[in-house]
Amino acid sequence: MAIDQTTDRRVYSADDPIIEIRNAAVTYDEGRSYVLDHVSLELERGEILGVVGESGSGKSMLASSLLDAVPSPGHLTGEITYRPDGEAPINLLELEKADRRSLRWEDISMVFQGAMNSFNPTLDLRTHFEETLRAHDADIKKGLGRAEELLEDLYLEPDRILDSYPHELSGGMQQRALIALSLVLDPDVLVMDEPTAALDLLMQRSILLLLSDLQEKYNLTMVFITHDLPLVAALADRMAIMYAFRLVEIGDTRDIVENAAHPYTRALLNSTPNLDAPLSEMQPIDGQSPAPINMPTGCAYHPRCPLATEECRTEVPDYHEVETDHGSACYHWQASYDEVPLLHENSPGDTTGGVDE
Amino acid sequence: MNNYYIKRTGRAVLTLWVTVTLTFGLIRAIPGGPLEMLRARLVRQGVDPSRIDAIIQSRQQESQPIYVEYYEYMSSLLSGNLGESFYFREPVSDIIIDALPWTVFVMVMATIILFAIAVVWGALIAYKEGSTFDTASSGLSILLSSVPFYVLGILFVVVFSYKFGVFPARYRTSPGVSPELSFLFIQDALYHAALPIASVVITQVGLQTLAMRGNSIQVLGEDFVRVARLRGLSDRRIATRYVGRNAILPMYTGFLTLIGFNLGGSVILEEIFTYTGIGYYMFEALINRDYPLMMGIFLVITTALVLSVYIADLTYGLIDPRVKSGDSNEAY
Repeated sequence: MAIDQTTDRRVYSADDPIIEIRNAAVTYDEGRSYVLDHVSLELERGEILGVVGESGSGKSMLASSLLDAVPSPGHLTGEITYRPDGEAPINLLELEKADRRSLRWEDISMVFQGAMNSFNPTLDLRTHFEETLRAHDADIKKGLGRAEELLEDLYLEPDRILDSYPHELSGGMQQRALIALSLVLDPDVLVMDEPTAALDLLMQRSILLLLSDLQEKYNLTMVFITHDLPLVAALADRMAIMYAFRLVEIGDTRDIVENAAHPYTRALLNSTPNLDAPLSEMQPIDGQSPAPINMPTGCAYHPRCPLATEECRTEVPDYHEVETDHGSACYHWQASYDEVPLLHENSPGDTTGGVDE
Repeated sequence: MNNYYIKRTGRAVLTLWVTVTLTFGLIRAIPGGPLEMLRARLVRQGVDPSRIDAIIQSRQQESQPIYVEYYEYMSSLLSGNLGESFYFREPVSDIIIDALPWTVFVMVMATIILFAIAVVWGALIAYKEGSTFDTASSGLSILLSSVPFYVLGILFVVVFSYKFGVFPARYRTSPGVSPELSFLFIQDALYHAALPIASVVITQVGLQTLAMRGNSIQVLGEDFVRVARLRGLSDRRIATRYVGRNAILPMYTGFLTLIGFNLGGSVILEEIFTYTGIGYYMFEALINRDYPLMMGIFLVITTALVLSVYIADLTYGLIDPRVKSGDSNEAY
């Protein structure tokens, strides 16, 4: 029953894409195994896309791919197209070294996980800002003015922060300073890889609030990568779920949270801590996610999936269109509603760790 | 922050005091002593036993209570009086003042040169980690470190001084060249110091290179280097301000203490090259059981080591901002 199976880009396409990813794949052993397995995705101009996946599911590889910055000796193939507003599209993977260097941070910028290690411990923050501006031939004075404004937007005292060394700031301050540093050249796209991973819940919450303010003020397109589904559900317009180096479900945040159509997404929602539900109702997913050198054939989730059939074991499923702009890479997505019932009512607004709007 | 400097100074002074007191005790615990040595020599020379007793008697000082001796020892030390050398019949302080600058010159030069080479070479290897250059360099480093400096020194004397005669085999300068600020003097001093410096550099550079290689590889894997690349910083700036600076940090204390250690290691080196620095005099003092001279030089060497660690502590904050604010107060 493959009537609704679709290989076209309907489910992940955007009306006005700023970045198009086609079959992006990352390999470290000349194609014997993939740590990002032919992912296709489009990023709508001005949206916040949340990418959710567990540890080792390829999230960071997807983030790095957006800047063609896969750690060496990884090899990135596929097609990544950046479409600046009103200008000719740029194929990221075919750029000269100098062009790539100027595109990064000026057009597409990134915040890494672990801000504590993102600053050079022997340089103060002003130097970090100045050298970034200098490396891109930007006006230093204007750039520092922008940096001060950004720091203020992030509720930091610009003078104090700029004259500090990284170790003199708290984790939350470093994280916010890093966000300011990533935006100092006025990029269009900001990729954030677990930006709140090392922070406490209160700080996570306030950084999320700040991010949505920044997104509006500076008209940013954001990709927010995390393992914390409820956290990003409160912020993102659209969500993509990753499992074993592939995207398994994509759709509007509300559709994903309330009407998830992939057994993995549904199990993930059930395994998420919820303040309203007793601990005993939390359901861990049995088994482990696969390693890249030991990928199951067919759908990578089939060894853990209650719905798995022969088809799942042999053929990698394509997206099935659940609704408009909502796709699930599962042959049995319809059955998943009954087989994997959601334990509690979810909605993007009131999930744990989220932001009350 | 001030507390830090006070603590460091206090620790340095305490270390020196302990050393001085230990030498005071050790020297008294050594069996024999210069008078026994003198008696043995006189006996060998066939001097009449009763005369020997008289000579020894005349040299013998009246023994005093130990705390009086300690007090006198400390007070004369503080006034710069290290006693008189039995063998050279000269005040120990004069010998040290004459010899020390030469040893410091050789060892400081050698240590600076070897660190300069190690930092550049180690960083280059780190950038080419896993290449043939890496394998060859690491192998060479270990090979060089396993050669003792005195073996290389003797080899140098044999080959360059005696066989080919391109370098002098002894002394600090050529006869007739007087210490003054002239081109001739500096040239002559460097010419004479070249072989001792080379033997230290060649035998010690390997270990430091491997240390720099390890540090650099570690820093290259740090997130901030990756972020710096993404921020578009030039490779040159990343190599110097990001990788280089952070990789050198742990080596800085090692650098200063190695200067101190090398001053102590000059004993055999200067004997091989007949280079009349404090090491040479230490050797002579050992052979002749010249305790005052031995003690004087021993104190100088210890002081040098304590001082180099002290300087390292005081200046570490200048290269690592994290120390300045007391985030970590151990430089080693």
